[in-house]
Amino acid sequence: MNLRVAGGLRTKEAWKLALLPAPALPSIHRAFRVAPYMGNHKKKSKANSNGNRPRNGARAGNTHAVTDTPVHRAPAGTAALGSRAEQSSAEGLRTYSIPDYRLEHPNLTVHQVVEKDKHGDEHVHYEVEGELDAPVPPIRDSKYLSKEQAIEIYRYMLLNRKMEIALENLYKQGKVVGGVYFGLGQEACSCASAYALGKDDWFAPMIRNQGSLLVRGFRASDTMMQYMAKADSPTRGRDGTSHFGDIEKRNMVSPISMLGDLIPVMSGVALGARLQGRNIAVMTYIGDGGQSTGVTYEGINFAAVQSLGLVLMVESNLWAYSTPSEMQYRCQDLAERAIGYGIPGVIVDGTDACQVFDAANEAVDRAHRGDGPTMIEAKMMRMKGHAIHDAASYVPKPLFDFWKKRDPIARFENYLVKNKKWLTAKENSDLIADVERVIEEEREIAVNSPMPTPESAEGGVFCENGCHEIKPKYGMPKVKKGTASYKETQAAAHLK
Amino acid sequence: MQLTYLEAIRQGIWEEMERDPTVFCLGEDIGIYGGAFKVTDGFIDRFGPERVIDTPIAESAIVGAAFGASLTGMRPVAEFQFMDFIGCAMNQISNMVAKTHYLWGAPAPLVLRGPSGGYVHGGPFHSQNPEMWFVHNPGLKVICPATPYDAKGLIKAAIRDNNPCVFFEHKYLYRRIKEEVPPDDYVVPIGKARIAREGKDLSIITYAAMVHTAIEAAEILSKEGIDLEILDLRTVSPLDREAIAQTVKKTNKVIILHEHSRTGGLAGEIAAIINEEAFDDLDGPIVRIAGLDSAIPFSPPQEHHYLPQLEDVLRESRRLKAY
Repeated sequence: MNLRVAGGLRTKEAWKLALLPAPALPSIHRAFRVAPYMGNHKKKSKANSNGNRPRNGARAGNTHAVTDTPVHRAPAGTAALGSRAEQSSAEGLRTYSIPDYRLEHPNLTVHQVVEKDKHGDEHVHYEVEGELDAPVPPIRDSKYLSKEQAIEIYRYMLLNRKMEIALENLYKQGKVVGGVYFGLGQEACSCASAYALGKDDWFAPMIRNQGSLLVRGFRASDTMMQYMAKADSPTRGRDGTSHFGDIEKRNMVSPISMLGDLIPVMSGVALGARLQGRNIAVMTYIGDGGQSTGVTYEGINFAAVQSLGLVLMVESNLWAYSTPSEMQYRCQDLAERAIGYGIPGVIVDGTDACQVFDAANEAVDRAHRGDGPTMIEAKMMRMKGHAIHDAASYVPKPLFDFWKKRDPIARFENYLVKNKKWLTAKENSDLIADVERVIEEEREIAVNSPMPTPESAEGGVFCENGCHEIKPKYGMPKVKKGTASYKETQAAAHLK
Repeated sequence: MQLTYLEAIRQGIWEEMERDPTVFCLGEDIGIYGGAFKVTDGFIDRFGPERVIDTPIAESAIVGAAFGASLTGMRPVAEFQFMDFIGCAMNQISNMVAKTHYLWGAPAPLVLRGPSGGYVHGGPFHSQNPEMWFVHNPGLKVICPATPYDAKGLIKAAIRDNNPCVFFEHKYLYRRIKEEVPPDDYVVPIGKARIAREGKDLSIITYAAMVHTAIEAAEILSKEGIDLEILDLRTVSPLDREAIAQTVKKTNKVIILHEHSRTGGLAGEIAAIINEEAFDDLDGPIVRIAGLDSAIPFSPPQEHHYLPQLEDVLRESRRLKAY
C-alpha cells in the first residue's frame, strides 16, 4: 500500500500497523472450516423458535452449521490468530482458527419449556440439558505467572468476594442506597485480566468488575462508599456502584450504565496515546448481553481499523439479567465474532485465573507492540441475580450446581495449596484472615463517611476557572507537517 | 481578508492545528476528500493522516474515540457529515461526554462540529437544527455562529475550551456570506451574545442564519419607521441571560426567531428567562417565530412553508409594534 500524500510517504508509516500480519499466540487452537454458504445445513434441533440451541461453551455441537465440517487441529504455535484466513482449500473453503485455552468444553443447553400446572394452566420456564455431572477440570498452569503473582491474584480475588459479602451485609442493614451488583463466580475474570495491565495502560470496568478496581489500586472503601452514596466516595455521592474513574493516577475511565459505550471510548484513549507516541493497552469488559448493542460493533471495528490496543474481555456469563445467551446471539462462541472484525479472538475458562491472565497478558503484549485489538471470551456463569433484588429463580438449579463446582476461588485455592503447594494451609488461612481484616477496616471507613450535603449537588457541570489543566498524558505529540500551505478551498461541495 | 463563513471555520481549525499539536480531526470522508462541504479540504496534506483521520461510518465510534482521546489530553475535533446524523451518537454525547465532568471530574475538551440548517432543500435528514437536543444536556456548550468573524473566533474558542462543545455550522451560510476577518489570532468568547443591530422599538432575539433574515427585515422596516434591535445569541447553551434581559429592558417588546420546531424550542426557554428577569419591562406579548411542529419537508414550496421567512418577521414585527 503506497498512499501518496504531500510531504512524502508519511501515510505508509501510519498504515503499516494495520497491514502487519497478526502475530501468532502460542496456544492450543480450535480450528474449524467455514463453508462459503452457511444456510440450509442445520440438522433439525430440539430448539424452539426462540433459537435455543447448545451453547454454554459447547464445542462441536451437532446442531450448528459451523461445526458440520470436521474439526481439525492447527499445528501448535504456527497458525495466525483468529482473523486471518490461514488457508484456502481446493474446494474453496477458508479456514480460521480460534485459540481455546479451556480444559473442558461444557456441553449444556438452556431452552424454554412449556409446562402445565395442576390446574391445567401453562407456564414457561428454562431448563438445562447436557453433561451436568462432568468432572471439574484442573487449573491450567500459567505460561507466565510466578508463584508470587499467582498468590497476589488469589488475594485480589478473595478481596473481591469478601468486599461483595460486606456489601451484601451493608445492604441488609439498610446502609446501601439502591441495589448491589455482584461479580460472584467472575472474580478470576475481573482480577486476573486487570492484573495483566501495565502501569501506563488504561482500563474501564463494568458493573461486575469490582475486583478489577482493587487490582488497579482502588480501595474497597471506595466502592463501598459509592454504594452508600457517601460524601467521600470517588464521585462524592454523584454516582454509585463502580461508576467512577481517575484519569490522573489510575488511568480508569468511569463506566456508564449503557452497555458497549466504553469500547469506542477506550479505543479513543489508545488513539490519543498513540498520537503522543505510545502504544498502550486499553482494557474493558462487555457481557454476552451487552455485546448485542450496536456501539459494541462500532467500537471494536474502530479499534480494528485503526489497529488500536483494545483488550476486550467478553464475559460470557450466560445470563443478561434474565435472558440466556441463547437468546442474545446465534454464533456458537462470541470469540468467533473476532473473525468478522479481522482481529484475534480467543476463548478461556473464565473461572480459571491462569487462563484469563495468560490470554490477557498476550493481548496486552500485542497492544504494546502496536499490533491492534484482541477479543478474549471468558466462559463462566453469573452466580447471583442481576442485582441483589433478583433471586435468579429463572436460572435452572442444575446449572447453578454445575458452575458452583467451578467456583473460581475454591479452584484456585485448591490449585495453590494442594497442587502447587505454593501456600501451606496455615499461610492460606492467614491470608484469608488478613483479607477479612482489611475488608473490615475498609467497611469501617466507608460506614463512617458522612452523607453529602444537599447543596453539594450543585456545581462542577463544567471545567472552568482552571479546575483542570489539559495536557497530553504521554508527552506532546511530535508532529510532522507537510509542505502544503493554507489556501482557500475551491472544491465542489454537497448541497450548495 | 474577505472570508466566507465556511472558509472562516476552515481557517480557524487550520490555525489551531498549526498552533497546538494536541488538536486533531476525525470524521467521515474528511481526509483526502476534504469532507462533504470541504471544511477540511487540504488538511491531510498539511497535517498528515495521523491527525486527519477518516473513520468508519459510525457516529458513536467517532464521538467515543474523540472522548477517549480527550481524556489523554488531546483536543479532538470530530466532524459530522450532517448534524442530522449526530442522533446516532446521542448516548455517547448525552450519557458519556456531557456527564463526565460533573460525575467523576474528568474534563473532556472536544469539539463536535458539522453542518446544520435548512433553506437548501436537503430534506428531512439533511436540514435539521438539532441544537435543542444538546441544550437539554447540562455539561455541553452549544454554539451556533451567524457570521464568518464569529464562526472563526468561536471555533477557535471551542477547540481551546476545556469542555465538550457542539458546534453547529449553518450550511446555508457556508458560501453565501463573506466579510472581512482580521488575519490575527483572536477568539470570540463562548456564552456571550452580541447586538447585531441597535434599535429601540422591538428586539428580535435569534441566532445563526435567522440573524440575516432579521437584518433584512430591519432594513425594510426602518423605512416604515420601525427600529429593530437584533440580538445574535451566538451560543445557545449556556445562554447569555444578561444580554437577553438587557435588550428587553431597552425595547420592551420581543420576538424570538428560530428555525427548529416551535414546541420545546429555544424560544420557550428564552421566554421563561424574560419572565424571570424582565417581566415588568414587557409592553407586549412575547412572540415566537419558528419552524412547524413537523419534520422538515423536502419539496421547495413545502420547505419554504415550514421554515420562518422574511415575510413572517415583517408581519409579526408590524403587529407587535402596533400592540
